[in-house]
Amino acid sequence: MHIPDGFINVPTVVVTSAVSAGAIAYGVSRANRRLGEKHVPLMGVMAAFIFAAQMLNFPVAGGTSGHVLGAALAAILLGPWVGVLIMACVFIVQCLIFQDGGLTALGANILNMGIIACFVGYYLYQGVVSFWGERRRSQLVAAFLGAWLSIVAAAAATAIELAVSGTSPLAVALPAMAGVHVLIGIGEGLVTAAVISLVMTTRADLLQLERV
Amino acid sequence: MRYSFLDQFSDLDSFIHRLDPRTKLVSCLAFILAIVLTPPGRWQVFLGYFSLLLILIIISKVPVFYVLKRSLVILPFVVLVSLFIPFFKEGEVAGSYNLWLWQVSVTYTGLAILGNVVTKAWLCVLGLILLSATTGITDLLKGLEGLGIPRVIVLILSFMYRYIFVVVDEAMWMRQAWHSRSFGNKGLRQIKTLGNIIGSLFVRSYERGERVYVAMLARGFDGKVRTLHSLTFRKADFYCGGLWFILLVVTGVFLW
Repeated sequence: MHIPDGFINVPTVVVTSAVSAGAIAYGVSRANRRLGEKHVPLMGVMAAFIFAAQMLNFPVAGGTSGHVLGAALAAILLGPWVGVLIMACVFIVQCLIFQDGGLTALGANILNMGIIACFVGYYLYQGVVSFWGERRRSQLVAAFLGAWLSIVAAAAATAIELAVSGTSPLAVALPAMAGVHVLIGIGEGLVTAAVISLVMTTRADLLQLERV
Repeated sequence: MRYSFLDQFSDLDSFIHRLDPRTKLVSCLAFILAIVLTPPGRWQVFLGYFSLLLILIIISKVPVFYVLKRSLVILPFVVLVSLFIPFFKEGEVAGSYNLWLWQVSVTYTGLAILGNVVTKAWLCVLGLILLSATTGITDLLKGLEGLGIPRVIVLILSFMYRYIFVVVDEAMWMRQAWHSRSFGNKGLRQIKTLGNIIGSLFVRSYERGERVYVAMLARGFDGKVRTLHSLTFRKADFYCGGLWFILLVVTGVFLW
């Protein structure tokens, strides 16, 4: 879902970059207040963790393979603003070093797969948990739903940006992108739920951390 | 793990490699902006930009074949977007096919839009590959900081760079153990195992982050990081950056 350069036009580039830069600036000041000087090494290592988790491919039907995005996972475990910062760092490295996603599209990629995915994933998880209670099963279902919707929402945002830029018509791109990612999101949801399940079993204290 | 998998060829020595990272970052951004701003259908301008970049690639001694191979990274997204192209209804029809129940027609408008974005994306990716193949990551990060990217982000990025090797190694060990034990392990069981791997990776990474912080505290970390700045903006950078900018403008204006 990494948008390369040239697929979105200049107004879209300007708006998405401004939104992402603002969110990162606010996220940094918030992390500074809540975590103090501890946040720098912690977030560096957690960004490396998301990067490594994205390298773990699992075979899907028909010879293709998939990997997790990890935005919802980061947001559920550490909080949405920290999630945004971590994902932004991952996308900066992927753009500058692996050419995965364009330089002018960096703002759009951070907005779709960082900001939107983290906030959708986190608040859906929190909503379901507060509705169904803190039981194990409800937390796992919440993690699945949050991660699944985070992928669908990111795909929908990508389709809208492409349509605004005149690259593809909205009436086709939105249902197609969202439709494909409704399926891809199932994998993300299952893996995220499995991760939360393991963390709950082995280090439940990590789920009680203050989320930023 | 192979140490150079992140910035292969950045340890070569050429005129481009010796330039200040800030010069290279700004030049790369200018190149990408020039391409993005070029209106669709100006193939001669795109060709001009391509020739300029090809000259730089040759000067930099980075193998051209490597650059071309790496540029395939944009393919998945191109394929995804090109799926929508048959659905542009306006314009002259270039060809139509019967797919099962659908009458699908490809129009020239749709093809022109696809050709335009793919060309732009490909040229920009070539520019980014040249940047990363001629600049080591530590230099790149120093360059980002020199260009006004906030200190905190650069610090997080440099910690990330430092621990990517460690964490990726851990992930790959677990993957190897998983693959060697899970012959024929498919479907939900496989997802469960992958979840366990990523979960233990998270726990280990989190604990590592805390240990690193404690170790830094023990050595007097007070939230500020002091580094020795070694970036030097030489005359060569000034002339090269200026020349590159002029060449971009000239190509854009004269081949319009």
